[in-house]
Amino acid sequence: MSTTKRAQVRPLRTREQQGGATDIWIVGLNHETAPIELRERLAFPADELGAAAARIVTGTDAREAVVISTCNRIEIVASGSCEEELSGVLTEFLAHDRGVDVALLREHRYVHRSRDGVRHLFRVASSLDSMVIGESQILGQIKAQFRDAVESDVVAAFLRRCFERSFRVAKRVRTETEVATRAVSISSAAVDLAQRIFDDLSGKTVMLIGAGKMSELAARHFIAAGVKNLIVTNRSFDRGVELARRFNGTPVPFDRYREYLGMVDIVLGSVGADGTILGPVDLTGALKSRRSRPMFFIDLGVPRNFDAAINELEGCYLYDIDSLAGVAKDHRAERAKEARKAEAMVLEEADGLWRQLQSTDLTPTIVALRGKLEGIRRTELERAMATLRRLEPQDREALEAMTQAIVNKILHVPMTVLKELARKEDTGGASEAQNFVHHLFELGSDPEADEENQE
Amino acid sequence: MPSLLLEGSLLAYLIGTVAGGLALWRSSAGFRQTTAAALIVGVVLQGSSILARSAASGTIVVHSFAEQVSFFTCLLVAVHLLAQLRFRLAVLAAVVGPLGFIGALVALVAQGATSDVPEFLKSPWLPVHVTLAFLGNAAFALSCLVSFAYLWQERRLKARTISPFLTSLPSLESLDRINFTFLAWGFVLLTLSILSGAVWAELSFGRFLSWEPRTIWSAIVWVIYAALLHARVTVGWGGRRAATLTIVGFGVLFISFLGVNMLTPGQHAVAYG
Repeated sequence: MSTTKRAQVRPLRTREQQGGATDIWIVGLNHETAPIELRERLAFPADELGAAAARIVTGTDAREAVVISTCNRIEIVASGSCEEELSGVLTEFLAHDRGVDVALLREHRYVHRSRDGVRHLFRVASSLDSMVIGESQILGQIKAQFRDAVESDVVAAFLRRCFERSFRVAKRVRTETEVATRAVSISSAAVDLAQRIFDDLSGKTVMLIGAGKMSELAARHFIAAGVKNLIVTNRSFDRGVELARRFNGTPVPFDRYREYLGMVDIVLGSVGADGTILGPVDLTGALKSRRSRPMFFIDLGVPRNFDAAINELEGCYLYDIDSLAGVAKDHRAERAKEARKAEAMVLEEADGLWRQLQSTDLTPTIVALRGKLEGIRRTELERAMATLRRLEPQDREALEAMTQAIVNKILHVPMTVLKELARKEDTGGASEAQNFVHHLFELGSDPEADEENQE
Repeated sequence: MPSLLLEGSLLAYLIGTVAGGLALWRSSAGFRQTTAAALIVGVVLQGSSILARSAASGTIVVHSFAEQVSFFTCLLVAVHLLAQLRFRLAVLAAVVGPLGFIGALVALVAQGATSDVPEFLKSPWLPVHVTLAFLGNAAFALSCLVSFAYLWQERRLKARTISPFLTSLPSLESLDRINFTFLAWGFVLLTLSILSGAVWAELSFGRFLSWEPRTIWSAIVWVIYAALLHARVTVGWGGRRAATLTIVGFGVLFISFLGVNMLTPGQHAVAYG
C-alpha cells in the first residue's frame, strides 16, 4: 500500500509537471475568427502534426497535446494542471512555431477551458462548428490528427477520454439528428439542386470557369457527391492547371472553353469580370448537340458571370449566388431545428463527460486517504499483536475485523462527501476539498502519484 | 362474396389514399410502407372480385362502363405498384390511390346492373384483347402522371422556388426516363391489343378491320404515340416538350375511352348497350 512521500519514476513524461487536478485547454482560430490568409500561414503540414504536439509538451507546461489543422481551423488541444494558465504559453507557442506575430494571433484566437473546452471539442467533432454545418469530413480529419498525437506519445488518459468520447458523440449526432442530411451552404445547395435535375452525378461532367476559392469549394462538394469528370478553365492557365491536377480534372484554355460546353452538364462560373461572359448565343451549338439533356448553370460570380436569359432556354437552369442563398436559407430554416437538437445533445454529453472527469479526479484522493488510514491501522495492529502473543487465532481475526470496521466507519462520511462534491458542477469545491484533505491527512501534493503507487 | 371483396378493397384504397397524402406532407418511411401495403391489399381484393364475377359469367366482365372503369383502375394500381420495384414513384400513390378508390366505388354502386354478354363476344380472345388494351392504357396513364410531375418540378426549378415539400420526387432526368419507359411499354401493349383485336375480328367476322369509331380512335392514339416515341428516340426529344405531348396523347386516349364507346355505335359498343 501507498506511502505517500515516496518519489517514483513515472514512465509517461507528460506527467512530469504536476500539481492539482487536470484541466483541458483549447487555443485556436477558425473560419469565423480569422481570415484565410492568417489560417494559411498557421496551418500545419499534415505530416508534422505529431511532432508539433510533441514540441508543445516539451516546450510548455502542457501535459498532453493534440494539434488539429484543417483548412478552416487550427487548434491546440492540451491538458495541464488546473492551477496553471496555459492559454498564454500555447498562443506564444503557436505564434513562434508558425512564425506569426503574437499580437496578431491574439486578436484572432479563441480560448476554451474546462467544461467549455469539452463542449467546444464535441461541437467541432460533431461538425456543429463547421463552415458547412453537418459536413462529414471534419470527424475523419480529427480522428487522424488525434492518432498522430497518440503516435508521438503525447496523449495520456485525460485527452484520450475527451477525444474518444467526442468521436462517439459525433456519431450519435449523425445518426440521431438530420443535421447532416440537408444542404445548408451555397455549395451544398448547388449540389442539392443538381441532384433534383440529374439522375446520378457520378456520370456527369462539371466545368469550373474560374479557379478561385469559391469554385474550389463548390468543386469539392460536387466531388463528394460523386462527380468524377471535371473540366477547369481559368484566365491564368497555370492556376487552372494546378486546380485541375488537384481534382484529377482536365484543364482547358480560357479562350477555348466554349467548345467543350456540349459535353458539360453543370457549369460553375466564378470569374471576376465586368460583364457577363456567357450568354444564350454561346450555347446554341452545345444545346443542339446535347439534344434534350438538361444543363445546370451555377453563377457564383459577383458581378454575375452568366446572362440571366440562359434560364429562359429550354432545359437550362440558372442559379446565381442570391437564388442559391435563398435555397440554402429554406433548408437552413428546416434544419435549424435539427441543429438545435444536435447542440443540446452535444452539451448534454460534454457536461456529462466533464462531470465524470471531475469525479475521477477525486478518486486518487479517496484512494490515498483510504491507503493512509489502512497504513496506520496495519502498523498499530502489528505493534499491538507483538505484545498480545497469547491471543488465539480467532481473537486475532476479531481484532483485525474490528480495526477494519473502525477505519471504514471513520471513512464513511468523508467518502460520501467527497463523492458528492465530485458530482457537483462547480469544480472549485471539489478541488478545494481535495487540497484540504491532502493537507489535513498529509497525503502529499500529488494525488496522481499516489494513484500510480497503488498499482 | 364479390360485394364483400369490393367493400374490403374500398377500405384499403381509402387507407392507401390517406397515407399516400400524408406521405406528401411528411416524408416518412412509415407512411410510404402503409400506403404500399394498403394498395396491395386493395388490388388483391378488387382483382379477386373481378375474377369471381368473370368466373361466374363465363368470360371477363368488362361489359358495362362501371366494370370497365373498375378493371382499368385495378390494373392502374397494379402497374403503379409493380413500377415501384424499379422507380422511386411512391409519390404518385396520392393520385393513384384515389383513382383506385373511385374505380372500386363505381363497381360497388353498379354491381347489380350486369348486362348479359352477347354470345359472339364469348371468345377466349376477349380477355386477351381487353387485358392488353387496358394494361397499355394503365401504362399511358402513368406516363401522363409522371409527365405532370415532371412539369411541376421543372417549373419550380426554373422559378427557383424549390421547397422542401415533395422532396421525394425523382430528379428531372429520372422522371423523363420513367416517362419513356411507360410510353414504350404502353405502346407495345397498345400495338399488341390492336393486333389481337384484328386477329379476333378476322376469325369471327372474316374481316380484320372495321371502320368503326373505336378502331379509328385507337389508330389515332397509336399514331400519336408512335410519333412521340419516334421523336424521342431519333430526334432526341425529351424534357418539357415530351412531357407536354405525353399529356396530350393521354388526353386523346381518355376522350376516346370515355366518349366514343358511350356515344357511338359499333362492335365495341354492342356490349355496353
